Amino acid sequence: MAKEQKMEKIKKVKMPIVAKQATTNMNRTKRMKEKKKAAQGGCRKKSGPHLPSSFLKELGFQKHPPNTSEQEEGEEDDDNLYEYEEPLPEEEMKKNRRFDQVENYEYELPKGFEDEDVPSDEGEDVPIDEDEVENDSEKHVRMLQSITGLPAAAFKGMEKRNVALTDVQSDLGGKITVHDLLDPLHGKTGYSMLRKRLNQLEKAPMAVQSPLPKVEREKLERKVTYEQSKKEISKWDPLVKRNREAPSLYFAEDIDLGVSTVGAIAAEHEPRTEFEKKMAALVGNPDIMEAHMKDGGRLLELNKVSVEDVKLRHNRLAKMRNLLFRHEIRAKHIKKIKSKTYHRILKKERQKTASSEMNMNPEAAKEAAIRQEFKRAERGLKAQDEGTRAAIAEQLHQHALLKRKMNSINDNSSSDESTDEDSDKLSPGSDGEGVARLLNKAKEKTMKLMEEEEEMPKSGVFALPFMHRGLKKQREEAYEEAHRALEEYECSLKSLDGEEAECQSSPDKNKGRRIFTGPKSQLKVPSTKEPNCLSGSDSEGDFEEFREKEEHTSEIRPNFQVQSALLPSDAETGQEKIFKNFDDVVKNPGSKTTYEVAIFASDSWKKMGGENSTANDLKNTAEVHANNVIAKLDSVERADKSDSDSDIEMVDGLLTSEHVPSYKLPSQDVLIHRAFAGDDVEAEFEKDKMDALNEEIPEPEKPVLLPGWGQWTHVQKKKGIPSILLEEHEREKRKREDSLKTRKDANLKHVFISEKVDKKTEKLHAKNLPFPYTSKEVYEHSIRMPIGPDYNPVISIGALNRPAVIKRAGVIIEPIKYEEIDPYGNSEAKKKPTHSSQKPKNTNKAKLAGRKTNNKS
Amino acid sequence: MVVRRLYVGSGRNKTGGEQDAFDELDPKAKKYLRGDAANLGVIRDKKLKGQLLDKEKLYGQTAKAAAKAEKWLMPTEVGYLEAEGLEKTWRFKQETILQEVDIISSRKPFDMILPDLGPYKLEYSLGGRYMLVGGRKGHLALIDVLTMRLIKEFQVRETVRDVVFLHSEQFFAVAQKKYLYIYDRHGTEIHCLKEHGVPLKLQFLDKHFLLASVNKFSQLHYQDVSTGEIVGNYRTGLGRTDVMQMNPYNSVIGLGHSGGKVTMWKPTSSNPLVTMLCHHGPVTCVSFHNSGYLMATAGMDRKIKLWDLRKFEALRTYSCSAQSLDFSQNGLLAMSNGSRINIWRDSVGNHDYERYMAHSMVKGYQVGKVCFRPYEDVLGIGHSMGISSILVPGSGEPNFDTWVANPYETKKQRREKEVHSLLDKLQPETIMLDPLKVGTLMPPTKKDKPNKGDLEAEMEAAIETAKSTVFKKKTKGRNKPSKRARKKEEAVLKTKRPFIEQQAEDRPLKKPKVEEAELPKSLQRFVRKKKTL
Repeated sequence: MAKEQKMEKIKKVKMPIVAKQATTNMNRTKRMKEKKKAAQGGCRKKSGPHLPSSFLKELGFQKHPPNTSEQEEGEEDDDNLYEYEEPLPEEEMKKNRRFDQVENYEYELPKGFEDEDVPSDEGEDVPIDEDEVENDSEKHVRMLQSITGLPAAAFKGMEKRNVALTDVQSDLGGKITVHDLLDPLHGKTGYSMLRKRLNQLEKAPMAVQSPLPKVEREKLERKVTYEQSKKEISKWDPLVKRNREAPSLYFAEDIDLGVSTVGAIAAEHEPRTEFEKKMAALVGNPDIMEAHMKDGGRLLELNKVSVEDVKLRHNRLAKMRNLLFRHEIRAKHIKKIKSKTYHRILKKERQKTASSEMNMNPEAAKEAAIRQEFKRAERGLKAQDEGTRAAIAEQLHQHALLKRKMNSINDNSSSDESTDEDSDKLSPGSDGEGVARLLNKAKEKTMKLMEEEEEMPKSGVFALPFMHRGLKKQREEAYEEAHRALEEYECSLKSLDGEEAECQSSPDKNKGRRIFTGPKSQLKVPSTKEPNCLSGSDSEGDFEEFREKEEHTSEIRPNFQVQSALLPSDAETGQEKIFKNFDDVVKNPGSKTTYEVAIFASDSWKKMGGENSTANDLKNTAEVHANNVIAKLDSVERADKSDSDSDIEMVDGLLTSEHVPSYKLPSQDVLIHRAFAGDDVEAEFEKDKMDALNEEIPEPEKPVLLPGWGQWTHVQKKKGIPSILLEEHEREKRKREDSLKTRKDANLKHVFISEKVDKKTEKLHAKNLPFPYTSKEVYEHSIRMPIGPDYNPVISIGALNRPAVIKRAGVIIEPIKYEEIDPYGNSEAKKKPTHSSQKPKNTNKAKLAGRKTNNKS
Repeated sequence: MVVRRLYVGSGRNKTGGEQDAFDELDPKAKKYLRGDAANLGVIRDKKLKGQLLDKEKLYGQTAKAAAKAEKWLMPTEVGYLEAEGLEKTWRFKQETILQEVDIISSRKPFDMILPDLGPYKLEYSLGGRYMLVGGRKGHLALIDVLTMRLIKEFQVRETVRDVVFLHSEQFFAVAQKKYLYIYDRHGTEIHCLKEHGVPLKLQFLDKHFLLASVNKFSQLHYQDVSTGEIVGNYRTGLGRTDVMQMNPYNSVIGLGHSGGKVTMWKPTSSNPLVTMLCHHGPVTCVSFHNSGYLMATAGMDRKIKLWDLRKFEALRTYSCSAQSLDFSQNGLLAMSNGSRINIWRDSVGNHDYERYMAHSMVKGYQVGKVCFRPYEDVLGIGHSMGISSILVPGSGEPNFDTWVANPYETKKQRREKEVHSLLDKLQPETIMLDPLKVGTLMPPTKKDKPNKGDLEAEMEAAIETAKSTVFKKKTKGRNKPSKRARKKEEAVLKTKRPFIEQQAEDRPLKKPKVEEAELPKSLQRFVRKKKTL
């Protein structure tokens, strides 16, 4: 308060100064302003024209503005820089000297000034002023009086005392320093700071250099800020380095998953909408809460429903029920109406509405018409179909059956056995039986068809009399045809019967293919040959069999040996069986039954296929002539030499062979060549290698004479091939040699390594070096270690496969936080970068807890 | 005589000294490093270098951990025969060995005399538990050798040339007289594969699910047994052969031919990968070491040769003949000649094979096939009078990995494994000579390296296009002829630059030629001579 008063005093001191030279008008305005300032007092704010910050800074350095006029000193002392400064009055600016110069700016006390009691001396000095002031004051007092109702003297006295105070102050003489002003503030808060600042201001030199040019200043500023920020940022360096070097970063370290219970979520809920708020008010009603907390008795009390409410509800329900009942009754009534007229009318009405709709909408009409038409057509077709459909289905079925049969006969490339068996069935061995079966089947079919066709369609188009007649005619024709077919079948069956009698005597055993019919016979057959087996010194099974074969043949006839010796070893297996067959037949004619049957079986085939006198001979005569055997062997040989499927032919067509041209011995040269086929393997290999090399790296073509050029005059012949071509050829040749030399097998005489590029393996190679790598070796070494769990101990699998950033979905990545780390610390320490010390969730928990307690209370 | 640690399938722990554990660790760990680290000094990229260093460190730790685990996971060691004094290991009879071994092992050798149905082939399943026996005259039998129980026996009444197990003992393929058949363990015929022609020899590539066969017309067929698709069908064009063996390391098929050649095949190329002239006579058998780089061949020229498949050079040549060869899991080499069986071993590890064991069958028995049983110290022999098996200490791998093959597999495990192996099935194109090449950079093809003339032509064309570009008309000051000219020049230079740089890169740096001084005569004899066949 004291400070405020002082300020006021200063203003009062100044007031007359201004008043002295100013015109009355101006003076008034100024005074008003001064008063306002005074009213603001100590809580004067830094307000004023907005200045650029740089300018303000400049001002900060200067203690005094370069304004030497004494009259403003008082204000300067205040050190209120931001105060709005009134521009100099125009008379002071001495513009054109329009105003009279006033010499004395100093405030001089009037001579007659003696006591403060003197009511007003001002009037003496400035009479013009006084009047006005007087007037003003009087007016003011009057106004105050009217408002407050106090005597005017009370207000007047106050004013006077003020004036007196100022006068006392000014009476002390000399200048008032800032220190004087500050003294009473001693001991207040902020005093020391104020004083310090004042001291600084005093010490600072008065002279102020002119500010640097803007560019320079900005440059300096930038430099400073750069250095500052560099220092600031460089402290992060080790942190960033650590994070960069870390093999993987972790971002999900402390996640508290405990929050997401239903209760927790519900606890966090805050009512927002009107409804929610209402609900919350109800639920959170302390009465109810209390009731819940205590016991059910209070709850029951709260649960009471008023009688009115119940009544209302009851009424409402009754009304609804009544309405429903009425509706039901009405529906029943309408349904019960039997009157046709009523229904007709109803229907008509409906149609009317529909037709009106159609009229309105031509598309709907069209659609309806189409629907109608479709329905009609469908009805017609249904009636027609009944008869034909069955016939077509039957035909299709027949077709499918026949097709399957055909396929089963033709097919022999599929991998399942069943087809083979099928083909076996149809093979000549079992032919008679098969034919009979087929015939029987056909007969049955026709009978069935005939029976089926008795039925006549009784409705539809076919029911018409003329159609009926036509159908009957057709049917009769078909019937006749079927009869004819049946007769044919019967005929053929009868003819077959004779053969079948034979065949049926051994229906099971007529598969000629297998020789090892059972384990018994199997064991028996080789056991007889055991010594032979053992005597075979060579481990090759082929050879052994070969030997075995040979021996048997030799038993029969010695001159046969030549031919069997010349048999190619390829076909040994097929032959072997046959040999065995014959061997047994030859050796023990007593036990030949099975084989005889096998031969019998081929009888039917003979009938179909062609003639074979030798086979007949064999069948009829028990003894076997060596000649025969030879003939057969010849045939076998021929069969072997033919394709791979000759085996089949040979096995079940044992007796097929007609006369075959006998084997011709190759010439001596050929034989010798064959015998020494693998003599000079090395040279052969060399040749092969050269061929392969030529294939991989083709030899350049030799230059030839250019056609057409100087041919008539034989210029080319004389000059020879142009040197360019020759040179090129030479170059190509050299290139080829170079590439031959760089091959892996260049120095290996006995090895040829193919260097053909396999296109299929291209996808297994990397096309280019992956990004950070620059050398192939480094890349290939870096992928040498498998990283899967099958090849590494458990402890290192995680480390080997850890991703660069480990983060769970939804985790918020906090910005990096500063922390002190040793920049030269070893790499072990930097394993776990605390890049993100996630916000602990404890606060949340505390909050929840708090809430809970609140609820409880 | 001493039979050292003959672990025949029975897991017996070795409680070794702990103090030498760390000494052994390093060489073992090296194995798990799978080669050396790349030279990181070459890399300029700091980040990459850091990453690779980190990775290498991890690899080191991994290898160490693996080596440590090996100590506990692979406790049993390989057994062997040890001679005392003047004894020779190849003089030991089976009877004497039998007296030394434990009871379980002593039950393993047997002789089965089956005189009727011809020379027998045999084949063990991957786990070594099941044996498939195929008699020449159609006798097929599936035997559980662990319990010596006959699972199925039947006769196909046809010539049987070869038998082979498919991925499990559930199915096996049989090369019969005309076709190739697949049966299941109950003897039911599942498939008849007619496309293979008349197969002579079969092999199953278990990682690729491919059934390979070579037929009478010397055609090589590959059929995927999981999809049924014929993957490859190639004519070898080198004559009929029934010598075929798969290299277990890279699944390349080796074929031996009558011209003394051995060819190696993969399913995706119609030409052999490698053709080697191994013998002067027909090749009788081929066998591959488990490591993949060692091949043994035997020929009619009474030679047995060991080949290094990295250099394609003969390491050793022994003069004796063999009808069949087989490498065991631990690298023992069994060979049969007539009724005699020899087993060789390189005791030092430098592929200098020497006699280790010998066994002779009854005189007159012709041994057709020898086959080591996996994970057991047993050699199976198929001969003309049946099958037998003998003990060969140190032949099988003593520790089995149940993820690879499990001799004691249960039904559930087998099913699980079947699914897994199908999921892990490798595609046929992954078969190559060096399977480590998968994933590496594509080998440069000839087209990738354009020659100088092409490059020049390309440059010319580029320059032409640069010259002929029309510049936009710019505003007044910038449209001066001088400026336009300069702009054009710049464009041309810009297009030229990459070509010139490339040429500079291609041009080898001129190095002062180091003259190869002739060695003084006294030292010349130490110069390595080029090996000849």
